[in-house]
Amino acid sequence: MLSFKRYWIAFIVAIAGMLALVACAPTTVIETVVVTEKEEVIVTQEVEVVKEVEVVKEVAPPEMPVGTLTVALSTFPNSLDPPQTAERNATNASQTMFDGLMWVNDDGGLDNALAESVELSEDGLTYTFHLRKDVTFHNGDPLTADDVVFTYDRGLNGGFEYSYLFERAKSWTKVDDYTVEMTTEAPDPLFLRMMATTLIQPAGYHAEVGEEAFVAHPIGTGPFMLVEWEKGDHITLAANPNYWQEGYPKVENLIFRPIPESATRVAAIQTGEVDIVQRLSSEEAQSLLGATNVQVIRYPVDRVYYIAFNNLTSGLDQPTMDPNVRLAMNYAVDVDAIIDALFDGFATPAVGFVTPGNLGFDNADPFGYDPDKALTLLADAGYPDGFEMDFACPAGAYTNFEQVCEAVQGYLREVGIETNLDLMESGQYWDLEATKALPPIFGDSWSSTLGESINRLEGALGGWDASYSAWSDPVIDDFMAQINTEMDTQARADLYGELQVYMRENPPFIYLYSPNAFEAINSRVQDYRPRSAEDYNLFYTWVAGE
Amino acid sequence: MQKYLLSRLLQAVLILFGVLVLVFFMVRIAGDPVNLMVPREASEEYREEFRNMMGFNRPLLVQLADFMGGALVGDFGNSLHFKEPAMPMVVHRLPATLELAGAGMIMAIVVAIPLGLIGGFRPGTWIDSLGRFLGLLGQSTPSFWLALLMIFFFAVDLGWFPSFGRDSIKSIILPGFVMGFGGMGALVRLTRSATMEIRGEDYIRTARSKGLLPKTIYIKHVLRNVLIPLVSVIGVSFGYSLGGSIYIETIFAWPGMGQLVQQAIGWRDYPLIQAIAVFTSVVVVLMSLLTDVAYAFIDPRIRYND
Repeated sequence: MLSFKRYWIAFIVAIAGMLALVACAPTTVIETVVVTEKEEVIVTQEVEVVKEVEVVKEVAPPEMPVGTLTVALSTFPNSLDPPQTAERNATNASQTMFDGLMWVNDDGGLDNALAESVELSEDGLTYTFHLRKDVTFHNGDPLTADDVVFTYDRGLNGGFEYSYLFERAKSWTKVDDYTVEMTTEAPDPLFLRMMATTLIQPAGYHAEVGEEAFVAHPIGTGPFMLVEWEKGDHITLAANPNYWQEGYPKVENLIFRPIPESATRVAAIQTGEVDIVQRLSSEEAQSLLGATNVQVIRYPVDRVYYIAFNNLTSGLDQPTMDPNVRLAMNYAVDVDAIIDALFDGFATPAVGFVTPGNLGFDNADPFGYDPDKALTLLADAGYPDGFEMDFACPAGAYTNFEQVCEAVQGYLREVGIETNLDLMESGQYWDLEATKALPPIFGDSWSSTLGESINRLEGALGGWDASYSAWSDPVIDDFMAQINTEMDTQARADLYGELQVYMRENPPFIYLYSPNAFEAINSRVQDYRPRSAEDYNLFYTWVAGE
Repeated sequence: MQKYLLSRLLQAVLILFGVLVLVFFMVRIAGDPVNLMVPREASEEYREEFRNMMGFNRPLLVQLADFMGGALVGDFGNSLHFKEPAMPMVVHRLPATLELAGAGMIMAIVVAIPLGLIGGFRPGTWIDSLGRFLGLLGQSTPSFWLALLMIFFFAVDLGWFPSFGRDSIKSIILPGFVMGFGGMGALVRLTRSATMEIRGEDYIRTARSKGLLPKTIYIKHVLRNVLIPLVSVIGVSFGYSLGGSIYIETIFAWPGMGQLVQQAIGWRDYPLIQAIAVFTSVVVVLMSLLTDVAYAFIDPRIRYND
């Protein structure tokens, strides 16, 4: 009997042990919360802190490439072959191995890259690119005009999903070994920007090894050369010793590691296993604020979230055809409160469709929360008691977007607009959106990649010409046509500004917000500068203390 | 016994045929498969070209026959997202998944069977209580939660193991433990209840009354009979874990099949999803077939039934 009792004590001790193990989780969380509260202010200044470090550099970047930089990616690059990369992580990884004729610098401006100079004809239709003569591919072949022509031929005729991007050019011809002439159908102010994302591939090497081998092991002129690509596990690259930009790259080994789970990325940056982690939530970024050797980076993302109106199909004969009703709905939603509650305050209220990083970002003021004004506008429009309407949003597609839509529904209810919110599986949602079969108001978001908001505008407001648009307005069409052919940057910026004012008075959306991106880097990483399109160049990034 | 195996084999073929038909219609049930597979931004021309390329404009029966023919030789077309043949991608992931499933299974067996046996022989002792507690804990702990807990405790706080990846022998410890923990729970409980049941059987009483040593009784009579349900459960659950654990592989960035499933679903990569679904089904069916064969060897009643 005595021994039985002793066993029981041992058992209880065992349980206590288990519980202690289990209890580790809450303890960690509590610590995190304390840190968050203490240092909340710092996160807003983090970007500036990073910049200060750049200005007063105590340690100079190395002359020769040294050290290893490990970057965690949130997805597995589907391909490293430029015309086949399907998402941001893939293009970012691919970009370390290739160059375009132009490149977008960190200020958003356009600089020459593989092209030494560019001339544009009087009529604005013919571009003459003079190539640098000191550039070689990773196999030693020199870069010539044939490679540029090959890149365009392959991009357009290779049977790729994104081949339509190459249709922007009407023709491309070799003039001599180091000169290429390209023409466009009409003046195209974004044509040169496209050149920055069109990465030049080697004609000779491709012919030598064939399509399949090239896709498996692509080579370019870029700062890094592919060493090994173990799919799903790692991509290892080494510094290109013959890189045409003297003194670059700065790191010897570059490794990409896909880590799909963001909580694991948070762990891996703390253990020092990786040097850069991206796509963190604001909570995760804040939990890293107290961590040693970890620096948090925050920047606005070139994406706008909105609730769209429909004036093409389901929205006809609806109250939302009246601009006053649409204005009222904008005043009725407290976007700031949504940003505070769901994004810890880290997002920018949107107005118009131009984000802070875009050309022509003009200060058309956000609407602000004014339910009284909303009620007055609704009464003026003949709906003093509100109305009822169907409303849909995609589920599982965007961070917290379901909750955002529910909040919008709640705010609309407060001014008498009763919506029947349908949160749909996103695949089904895009299908319905593509056939313009969604309810008269529906949630969505649109990014933009060329530093200007024109492709976002065309995509969301192109009317019947755009697959995913449910809105058509001749005034907006006119603005877009002008922007598309106006070659003068300042004049285009003014057009964007005017358009934003118009789109504030005649809103095609309930404007919501532009989100922030959160990343974290190991403190030894220097000169890492992600941009608002969530892209980055790594040729100037270096690691201290190597 | 041949008759038994033959009927099992026939069943397996029928099941696989059913799986193929289901997988074929899975893509087409929601309407136009082109809308599911093509990105939002794609032009109308590309949609048409894609429809042609994938053969979606042909009669359904022709498509089905074509799909079946391809499936027989392991050809499911190219992954839409990764732009390479789907089935080889799946097969390429097998070693990593096999490694993880194996490590998990070994861990589960090593802990669970002794605990279950002792618990079954000596119910009410502290080892039994420990076994039952672990069993309950293993079965009721969500694996994704345990995985994160392990990472933050053993990788971040203690720095003993890597937090992700498959780089060294150390890499497998955390994911292997999490993988095995759930299986262990089920095995402890099963072993214990089987042992308890068999202890009370007439033939054990007979053996005892013949004066056999307890050691002989346990090993020759009890253990052997406990093996019968154990083998079937281990075989089938190992088959399932070869399909890859989506949660565990994703959290640990373990480059196995579960992670591929997560990616394939995330990108709506239907050819890849189809290849994975068929491959996993084949593995599960094969494992249960093997289990049936093993059964026949362990259980003489099946062997001599013909």
